Amino acid sequence: MNYYATVNNTLEFIKENALIVGIIAAFCVVAITVGMWKVFQKAGKHPWMAVIPFARDYTLTEIGSTGLIGVLAYVILPILGIINLNGIRYFYDLNKGASKPIYAILFVLGTIFLAIALFFHVLSSIKLSNAFEKGTGFLIGLILLPPVFLLILGLDQSKYVRSVSTSLGLKASRAISNTLIYIVLVIMAIIWLVPFVCIVLQSFRTESTWSVGYVLPKQWGFQNYVDLWNSNFKRWYLNTFIIALIVAALQTIIVLCMSYTLSRFRFKLRKGLMQFMLILGMFPGMLTMIILYRVLKDLGLTESHAVPGLVLVYIASSGMGYYVSKGFFDTIPKSLDEAARVDGATRAQVLYKIILPLAKPIVIYTILTAFMAPWGDFVFAKYVSFEDPVGMNVAVGLWKWLTPDMINQRYTMFCAGGVIVAIPVAVLFMCLQKYYVEGVTGGAVKG
Amino acid sequence: MKRYTDMEYLRLPKGRKLLYKIAAFFCAIPRALKNGALGIVRAIGNFFRSIGLEFADIFKTFVNGDWKTKLSFFVMGFGNIARGQILRGLLFLLFEAAFIFYMIFAGAKWLSMLPSLGKVGPHEVYNAVLDTHTTEYGDNSFKILLYGVLTVFFIVAFIYTWRVNIKQNKIAEQILKSGKPLKSGKDDLRSLVDDSFHRTLLALPLTGILIFTVMPIVFMILVAFTNYSGSNDGYFNSLFTWVGLENFNTVLSWNGSGGVYSATFGEVLTWTLIWAFFATFTNYFLGMFVAMMINKKGIRLKKVWRTILVLTIAIPQFISLLYVSKMFDKNGIVNGLLKDLGIIDHVIDFWGSTAHDAILPRVMVIVINIWIGIPYLMLIATGILMNIPADLYESAKIDGASGWKQFSKITLPYMLFITGPYLLTSFTGNMNNFNVIYLLTGGNPINNAASSAAGSVGYTDLLITWLFKITTTTGTKYYMASVIGILVFIVVALISLVVYNVLPSIKNEEDFQ
Amino acid sequence: MASVKLTKVKKIYDNKVVAVHDFDLDIKDKEFVVFVGPSGCGKSTTLRMIAGLEEISEGTVEIDGVVVNDLQPKDRNIAMVFQNYALYPHMTVYDNIAFSLRLQKMPEDLIYEKVTKAAEILGITEYLMRKPRALSGGQRQRVAIGRAMVRESKVFLMDEPLSNLDAKLRNQMRAEIILLRQKLNTTFIYVTHDQTEAMTLADRIVIMKDGFIMQVGTPAECFDMPANLFVAEFIGAPKMNIIKCELLKENGRYYVTPFGAKIEVDGEKGQELARRDVKPGKILLGVRPEHITLAQQGGIPTRLEVNEMMGSELHLHVYTEDETRLIVRVPTIGLTNEQRKGMTYGSALNITFEGKVMHFFDPETEKNMLCD
Repeated sequence: MNYYATVNNTLEFIKENALIVGIIAAFCVVAITVGMWKVFQKAGKHPWMAVIPFARDYTLTEIGSTGLIGVLAYVILPILGIINLNGIRYFYDLNKGASKPIYAILFVLGTIFLAIALFFHVLSSIKLSNAFEKGTGFLIGLILLPPVFLLILGLDQSKYVRSVSTSLGLKASRAISNTLIYIVLVIMAIIWLVPFVCIVLQSFRTESTWSVGYVLPKQWGFQNYVDLWNSNFKRWYLNTFIIALIVAALQTIIVLCMSYTLSRFRFKLRKGLMQFMLILGMFPGMLTMIILYRVLKDLGLTESHAVPGLVLVYIASSGMGYYVSKGFFDTIPKSLDEAARVDGATRAQVLYKIILPLAKPIVIYTILTAFMAPWGDFVFAKYVSFEDPVGMNVAVGLWKWLTPDMINQRYTMFCAGGVIVAIPVAVLFMCLQKYYVEGVTGGAVKG
Repeated sequence: MKRYTDMEYLRLPKGRKLLYKIAAFFCAIPRALKNGALGIVRAIGNFFRSIGLEFADIFKTFVNGDWKTKLSFFVMGFGNIARGQILRGLLFLLFEAAFIFYMIFAGAKWLSMLPSLGKVGPHEVYNAVLDTHTTEYGDNSFKILLYGVLTVFFIVAFIYTWRVNIKQNKIAEQILKSGKPLKSGKDDLRSLVDDSFHRTLLALPLTGILIFTVMPIVFMILVAFTNYSGSNDGYFNSLFTWVGLENFNTVLSWNGSGGVYSATFGEVLTWTLIWAFFATFTNYFLGMFVAMMINKKGIRLKKVWRTILVLTIAIPQFISLLYVSKMFDKNGIVNGLLKDLGIIDHVIDFWGSTAHDAILPRVMVIVINIWIGIPYLMLIATGILMNIPADLYESAKIDGASGWKQFSKITLPYMLFITGPYLLTSFTGNMNNFNVIYLLTGGNPINNAASSAAGSVGYTDLLITWLFKITTTTGTKYYMASVIGILVFIVVALISLVVYNVLPSIKNEEDFQ
Repeated sequence: MASVKLTKVKKIYDNKVVAVHDFDLDIKDKEFVVFVGPSGCGKSTTLRMIAGLEEISEGTVEIDGVVVNDLQPKDRNIAMVFQNYALYPHMTVYDNIAFSLRLQKMPEDLIYEKVTKAAEILGITEYLMRKPRALSGGQRQRVAIGRAMVRESKVFLMDEPLSNLDAKLRNQMRAEIILLRQKLNTTFIYVTHDQTEAMTLADRIVIMKDGFIMQVGTPAECFDMPANLFVAEFIGAPKMNIIKCELLKENGRYYVTPFGAKIEVDGEKGQELARRDVKPGKILLGVRPEHITLAQQGGIPTRLEVNEMMGSELHLHVYTEDETRLIVRVPTIGLTNEQRKGMTYGSALNITFEGKVMHFFDPETEKNMLCD
């Protein structure tokens, strides 16, 4: 590791990208120095040490006397990174233009090495910050500093990496990048799946009801599901299911009416109506909750009779959510309507003979989202049902089980309930995923 | 700021170009605000002008109309009936009768009480027959305000219908004069599925929006000018009154008795904006990145990767959020595992309990939001990426662009161009992202400094969760909730106004249409 | 089978843009009328107003003597073929054609008879059970026509029906439309931007520009006696050469002076000028490319810029000494091999033309001086 090469590289890079590097570098240098300065000050060391590179590392080791290994691991990352990047460069310089698979292997190995180092770096950072008994800001700083530093040093190395990969030929370089992508994807898949796997596993745990520090149950059993069956959960589930069904039907009709009209008819107030709804949408929906609750209460549609009340609340304003399906209707050529009208169809016949059959994807999308929303709704359900045991939906009911005074008895039942709720919804979603993707993408493109 | 012509701009060095663009963006903001304000002023002007024209037209119709028309000014629908349009006429007549009936028996009373919101609350009355004191319910301010608003709505609707009635008379006269027949009731009914099918279609959705969105919002805006809170909502006290701008003063003034409220508001607003920024852009770029990885040529099992990610959409959010929040609990799996592995000695309090640990919970909600949000963005980005014409990339490759250049010069501008409006809506959506915050942290850790006066506000509380807390838990100060709601609206509206007015100037430079 | 009468029809859009100005036209029963003009001239708008797809701002449209302004499209007894065919993608060809008949609640066996008959005429019988996306462009076009045919309506409207087809297919379909017209024997209104289509199909052409009618007449009238400069340039391909020059009158004879040459206006044109006693002065002289001939000597000296070999003829793009570009159409049959080889970039050519082929336009009003 030599500092002169680093300085040279940095100088080269600075010449090319003066502005960006200047800003980032200045920011980082100041941040690093100030951070270390403060740490040193608190630890009773000479703060000026923070400015001198090697002395700084030494002082850091000295302070973290409880975790010497931690400090070493912390320092190892930048060194590994720089060796890796510079190593590629030196190899390349030594064998200019030569194409040998050994570089590919070295490169992949180095990168994996770097990933491992990164992992240990995070661990050692946690250890270090624990040793210092400092706040989280400190920990985050510790975790982020070396990678940021590395990034700055490494940025200009990318051209060497690229020349290595071109010297390897298209096939090999693609294999390298694909390998890296696979590594990232596998890690992501694990992160995305872990919570769901955990929740399923914990729903079968019978030895204790509240959270424990391990994943695999020591005693397996269906006790949680049995308990679930004997609790109010049945009622909540039914409530939610009924709400979801009715909302799916009515909301779809309303949304389709609204979006078809706004897409196809040109009446006087159309623009004004759309702008008005845009402005209405800027008010937080929760604001209307207070009065709706009072009115529903006067009508006797709250607490234990919250189901019809919730249905009313969900569907009432669903006309405002016309945007995605209007975007879809806009893509159906207008000449189809015109042809049908010339052929003798009334506007209503145009809608159900021509447009609706063509709008199948968006109809399914609307039904799907309308059906799924009540399963996840929390705010209105909590407010309208007022946490009444028979009026709640699953979201509120299960949420209540996780409040501090119930969590000790109900935690594993929550897991079981979550599984029961998630399975049908997730299966339905996965079956109709195609339509969902179409709707979501269309909606985003149309804005 | 000095403006460059196009030719001058092209000759600027790279860094100056960037600086110029940034400066231009910020210089455009006041102009955008000005344009927006001017637009509003103009709209108001137009509104009054058109009202003037309406009056002139009403007057002219009365002077020029025949006796049937003149009578219709007082008996709605008379002209229609007299000219043979029985159905329409009857509807008008019915509406007028209903309106007059309502006004006499209810509307007038509510309207007259609206200025005071009621004077007599519930009180004990001596009942001579039973020889006890019984409670007599007096005026109920909530009902007065609600029915008052309703009555005003009715009056507006009546005036509008009256105007339509007059217009129809005028048109009918003209049609008869030109010797054509008028539409019969049957024609009217038939046109409901044909010519004016849109009225049929819109009737239901708009009624819903009017009753369940517009009216409550009007009501809640009015509440912001009262002192309506949970304590005057009960049996013993059902009175509240107008207080003018006092509530706004409490929240917005930086000194005086409202000091704590205003400081809290500032703090929560700042965090809300920071949160919305990070939640939007981390998701956006990471989601795009993931989509590009999965879509890359030669990556197998594309469907599997996608399906795994999409799980977070498929499973109701409250389950995953609640579970994840418990995973990172002090006694949760993550801490347990870290301890078992010997990495930590004391548990890490991810959700924080002390004030100086506000950063970790904040970072945690942003990180977990990434976990939730990446799949959406991945789906959206996948759809858009596939629509980028392949020849753009082909020609870039021939021009010698590297992978990074292809991304920064083609993919990114294209994505930003297409999803510009989406970014805006997702930013404002994140400002109001109740679920993620409430289910993960519940707004905690508690911000003691701010909480004393303004309810239990936490460091991760957004304006929207604060609003929720005010309305449900601490003292239920409805008036404060609606003030905050209005302020949220103003912030969102301002951001939208600026972005809508500034965006196109940026957009036009990279036209992909 | 009906007449269509448009009286002072006007289209004003919401943004106050006037798309069609006072459009007057009387279409006789069984006539084939073509609206032609560059894009944005209001021809499609006019057609759509006749169909009832666009509101009529002012004026009246009568079909068979009945004012149809307030009638829905379905009540006007018209049939229409759209530019992009507008086939219902979710229905088979059979259902597409039968759609309007079913809306009329016609019995199914009658529908079957009518649809199969129409399919036979159009040669699409074997595709009846296919969905539109499985058809080629030409087949889709036929289905669209079939759908309009079975309605047996009074007026047959076609909005650029051939513009989505490739050149070869377009020629073929054009011929088929001529045949179809003889079979259907009804009133046709046809919109196109292609002057060849207009010339070949129409009984009468309506040439439009910026919402105004430029000329109404038979194809021959429009070609031989264009009412103004626009029509002269629009009809005929390659387009007419326009030359700025003087009209002289010497001893009762008229002469024009293109590029310094002096050519006598003889024949009918000369007599007509004399009859109208046209004042000499600056004019715009129009000569069609096919009426210019190559002169062995004399004539106007030019140089060749581009030589387009079209097979039976050459299109020569030449420029004169004052850099005016002209196009000359020369039949290949009249040229020797040597002459053809000599026609390369920059080679000198002398051109000339006769008086009887000239068109005279007023430089101020751009109107034809021999036409009212």
